[in-house]
Amino acid sequence: MNVVRFIFDGIREMFRGPRIYWIWLAVLTAIIAFGAWNYSLQLADGLVVTGMSDQVSWGFYISNFAFLVGIAAAAVLLVIPAYIFDRKDIKEVVLVGEGMAVAAVTMAILFVIADLGRPDRLWHMIPVLGRFNFPVSLLAWDVLVLTVYLLLNLAIPFYVLYSRYRGKQPNFRAYFPFVVIAMFWAISIHTVTAFLFSANPARPFWHTALLGPRFIASAFASGPALIIITLQIVRKTTSYKISQSVIDTLALIMTTALQINLFFVGAELFTDFYNEGAHAASIHYLFFGLGGFSSLRTWIWLALALNLIAVTILMIHPTRRHPVLLNVACILTFVGIWIEKGMGLVIPGFVPTPLGEIFEYVPTSVELAVAAGIWAFGVLVFTLLAKAVIAIEMGKVRQRESESALSF
Amino acid sequence: MSKAGDKFDQARRNFLRGIGLGTAAAVAQPAWGGQTFQDALADFFQKDYRRMSKEEIDEALGRIERRVKAQYDVDIDCQNTPPQENVVYGYAINISRCIGCRYCVHACVKENNLGRDSQVQYIRVLELDQGNFNLEQSDHYYDPEKVPVEGKHYLPVQCMQCDDPPCVKACPVEATWMEPDGIVVVDYDWCIGCRYCMAACPYWARHFNWTTPELPAKEINTNCHYLGNRPRPRGVVEKCHFCIHRVRKGQQPACMEACPTGARIFGNLLDPDSEIRYVLANKQVFRLKEDLGTEPKFWYFSD
Amino acid sequence: MTMRTAIGLVGTGLLAAFSALVAYAQDSSEPGGNLRFEGYPGAPEIQVVSRIDELFFYPCDECHATMEPNPDIRELDTFHDSEIDHGKGRIWCHSCHQLEDPNNLITLLDEPVGIDDAHIVCGGCHANREKDWYFGAHGKRLVNWQGERTVYNCTHCHNPHSPAIEPRAPKPAPPVRAGLEREPGAEHEHTPIWESHEVDDEP
Repeated sequence: MNVVRFIFDGIREMFRGPRIYWIWLAVLTAIIAFGAWNYSLQLADGLVVTGMSDQVSWGFYISNFAFLVGIAAAAVLLVIPAYIFDRKDIKEVVLVGEGMAVAAVTMAILFVIADLGRPDRLWHMIPVLGRFNFPVSLLAWDVLVLTVYLLLNLAIPFYVLYSRYRGKQPNFRAYFPFVVIAMFWAISIHTVTAFLFSANPARPFWHTALLGPRFIASAFASGPALIIITLQIVRKTTSYKISQSVIDTLALIMTTALQINLFFVGAELFTDFYNEGAHAASIHYLFFGLGGFSSLRTWIWLALALNLIAVTILMIHPTRRHPVLLNVACILTFVGIWIEKGMGLVIPGFVPTPLGEIFEYVPTSVELAVAAGIWAFGVLVFTLLAKAVIAIEMGKVRQRESESALSF
Repeated sequence: MSKAGDKFDQARRNFLRGIGLGTAAAVAQPAWGGQTFQDALADFFQKDYRRMSKEEIDEALGRIERRVKAQYDVDIDCQNTPPQENVVYGYAINISRCIGCRYCVHACVKENNLGRDSQVQYIRVLELDQGNFNLEQSDHYYDPEKVPVEGKHYLPVQCMQCDDPPCVKACPVEATWMEPDGIVVVDYDWCIGCRYCMAACPYWARHFNWTTPELPAKEINTNCHYLGNRPRPRGVVEKCHFCIHRVRKGQQPACMEACPTGARIFGNLLDPDSEIRYVLANKQVFRLKEDLGTEPKFWYFSD
Repeated sequence: MTMRTAIGLVGTGLLAAFSALVAYAQDSSEPGGNLRFEGYPGAPEIQVVSRIDELFFYPCDECHATMEPNPDIRELDTFHDSEIDHGKGRIWCHSCHQLEDPNNLITLLDEPVGIDDAHIVCGGCHANREKDWYFGAHGKRLVNWQGERTVYNCTHCHNPHSPAIEPRAPKPAPPVRAGLEREPGAEHEHTPIWESHEVDDEP
């Protein structure tokens, strides 16, 4: 009964707030509804409403999926200092980070489902009932690791919050093993997602051992960028205390990760371009265009520029500590990585096709709308979770004494 | 083809005729996508091909036939001809004979009930410049008045029926696999449409039904196979299956039959006296992207 | 496949040709006994589609019976192909057609061969092709891959008076996905190596 009460109180807290909070929820819901309506069009007519083709068979959906798995994995950057190095300041916000992981994984899964030709057959993946091609298929791996990661990120905060709710200290020994698992799992989800692409010799652009490390590096740059901005919003909109030292640590991690990511990009560029072989056709298309087609060229140079400006801001101590400039750097990093690791990674893998055809992809309005809906859904999930988490952490939502007496 | 298979098919047909009479009235209802509620429900819960019993496969074949009847008013004969024993198919193309006329491409479209509006084609013929074998410099859309064009050569590409197929490894739900006779097939009723196999295929052999494949009723090939050319649903992946409904009965694939120059050679790789084995033993052959380790059962040679 | 029923399969014709050859080998066993052709050892049994009923002018002796055999190389003004685009001037009508019995062809060893056994005549010069044809690497097999092998003769596909395959109109180029258009791109940038090097025309 206590658990039910806890969930009930949590949900009640989610839907309690000032007018501005309700407007925020309403805006998100409207975007979700718009996305859902567009998805219904896709369900009715099939994926023909997208810009995808046999030539470019994955598009905007999978691009966002790859990016969001990275955001989800980045929650580990709060988990490690909080639980392993016992940083009290970071422990305060670690649950917010895990809430972000839940939202990001949810979005990632939704993007995969939106991309399916037959979502009605999703049950075919369920082991025993369906056929789950594990451990051979990397996609099966991805489904497994994402599901478990989602559960881990729901279970750990649930236990911690439930303890707080009852006015008790969570038993560290009880949940520490799960924290350790979650740490490794975070790395695994993004590694598996990278392997999903790099496992294909058919696509030389993806088929590089550097892809896994690159994914982790870019995730550890874009993840903290989002967390830094989110924590500042939380600090502004609630009375929850978030110490500046958390943001400083994250900024430092982000700086290093972005530097490493740019080095990786450079290494890839050198290897491909020094002696341009078949391996380089896609990257040539991406950066310079190929056969008169170059729709990604502007975007990738923009991404590179954004990341270079961001890394410059971050590398200089005074600018990194400047609140406005740090936020600028965060936004630039987030957008830059989203382009580079989303469309900039997924699409060139298909251009040219394995038979050398160059056929371009442009997302349709339906795809953009569905994607907006999914992003809004993720933001909504995070908003609701954060609302409840902060209220419980601050002791606003507590089990009433009389009830706890009754329940025994 | 084996006598037992014949008998089995005959029995099945009789069985289906019985069902057909019983459900004739129900078929007329347009609800459930032109199916009866029972059929739609059974379709939804249908197991994957390799786990269905003989009876369940027969029922599935019946539903397929009724679905096509309801949609097009055409009676197809959807069979489940099993693989022959001690047969593994191999294909070879004499590229010095190929003139790039695309007769194979269009014969394939008709034979395999490929959606005319979804515009899927299993075979792609590449036009290359003399002295150049770089696929990235090939032309897929050449359209001169007459072929072959001087100074060009041609390379038809279709599913290589790899012996170590990367698409099969990629599929998260085991909806695609290699049959005992070496043909890589797709269970169109099990595929979830994630298209990971398309990303994994180095030959661009797998194609997706972005929209519902529509067929002109008059042009429907009624000789169908569950794993082959039966009319497909939307949202699933399909590919060349060496005309499984023909070759398992000893007939040639439609592309080979349509080839006006005899450039296509097909046969049993396990038979040392077959034409395909003669080609492999006596001609300089190569395979596309052999370095990827996919072991294609599809060779090219020239003379 | 559209094969007229009237066109019989002349496996028997082939056998007849073989026995003719064998007969020749026996006849000429004294002076040149090693000159004999009996097909290829290990070659599979084939049935060759007859082409005789498709021939407009056949039987040849309907006209040629009343004409004086003329082996001279000359300008042809009859309704036969006026030019022989075969052999680059090295062969003439009677290289393949029997002069005295115009209904038959003739081998290099002056053996008569029926029209439907043309491959024996062709193989006289194109021995490698003929071998490939026997074993199935050249030519066209019909209907099935398994069981009885039915093949076209050389002359089904190659006009013996101008054997190069005629260019033909290709079927339409492939479409792209329904609802999408193909943007015309730039021409392929590849320059053949021989065009990228400068040739000094001055001696």
